[in-house]
Amino acid sequence: MPTRIFHWLLAGLILFSWWSVKNHHTDWHIWSGVAILTALIFRLLWGLFGSSTARFAAFVRGPAAVRDDLSGRWTGIGHSPLGALSVIALLTAVAVQVGLGLVSQDEDGIYMGPLARLVSSDTSDRARDFHELWFNVVLGLIVLHVAAIAIYRLRGRKLTLPMLTGRAALKAGIEPMRPGKWWAALLCLVAAFAIARWVVAGAPPFGS
Amino acid sequence: MRMRLFAVAAALTVTAAGIAFAALPRGKALAIMHERHEGMETIGKNFKALHRELDASSPNLNIIRASARNIEALSAKASHWFPQGTGPELGKTGAKPEIWQNPQDFVVKMRDFQAEARAFGAAARSSDLALIRAQSSDLGQTCKACHDKYRSDMHH
Repeated sequence: MPTRIFHWLLAGLILFSWWSVKNHHTDWHIWSGVAILTALIFRLLWGLFGSSTARFAAFVRGPAAVRDDLSGRWTGIGHSPLGALSVIALLTAVAVQVGLGLVSQDEDGIYMGPLARLVSSDTSDRARDFHELWFNVVLGLIVLHVAAIAIYRLRGRKLTLPMLTGRAALKAGIEPMRPGKWWAALLCLVAAFAIARWVVAGAPPFGS
Repeated sequence: MRMRLFAVAAALTVTAAGIAFAALPRGKALAIMHERHEGMETIGKNFKALHRELDASSPNLNIIRASARNIEALSAKASHWFPQGTGPELGKTGAKPEIWQNPQDFVVKMRDFQAEARAFGAAARSSDLALIRAQSSDLGQTCKACHDKYRSDMHH
């Protein structure tokens, strides 16, 4: 459940980030980025201490497993080995995007990312240029991600409903997921908010 | 008061007419476009420098004052940066055609910017950091008001 909330929250926040910057709401755009940062930190921690299907160690697999997945031999629940690559790529791309945004400033110098003061003005300008370019990478991965779901659907596997409800038919002999502990989710959330709050303050000893 | 309002209205009309009707030889138009680009970039650089200074734990007033002087001086020139014929039809520019479609509104925004640049210059000559901060934010909003409406997303 926390994994699914994270996913749809991330999708919504990326959409909002895009809309707000296109419509010159740069302040909302920055807060949306901070929200994405918080969500990312939570997902990272949940990937270590969360449910069995959320843990990176459980679902990120080697090339052999990916080959099995491609030839349809993979059986299991949660992210498939090929899907895991997509998860890692998407999370990494969004993390890079957030990192660039944190040190960026807008073209007029009116708005600065919370960590922009740690670098020079020229670096912040360059970071903004890369932030704009990198969005194309994020967008490309999202298109690929949605296309993959469409392909699965054509082949008769509906992945969207389980991503909303968390319920899927279990094949015989497959061990069901072990849900995470509610208090572990709470601790991950508190830690994520604390780290994001520290970044918003301007990081190390709170700014320059 | 009435006379003053009339004078402002007359000045706006004259400036708007100047923006709307001046015909320029191509070489001159390109030169103005270039000067505009450099001028806007320099204003931006100065604003960034002073914004960073204001956020520092002990702001350097000399940097803030120098930036304020540069911005004020350039803002005074900015009225001459947008003659008709220096839009996208001339070459690569962030200036949208809407500038010349709404000359009255554009001139009002230009004057707001120039007035705030002068007010910020005056604030920077004081040592009142709270006042300087407030005026810098007002100045930034006049940049934004115009750019949101009249500048396209240009990548250079």
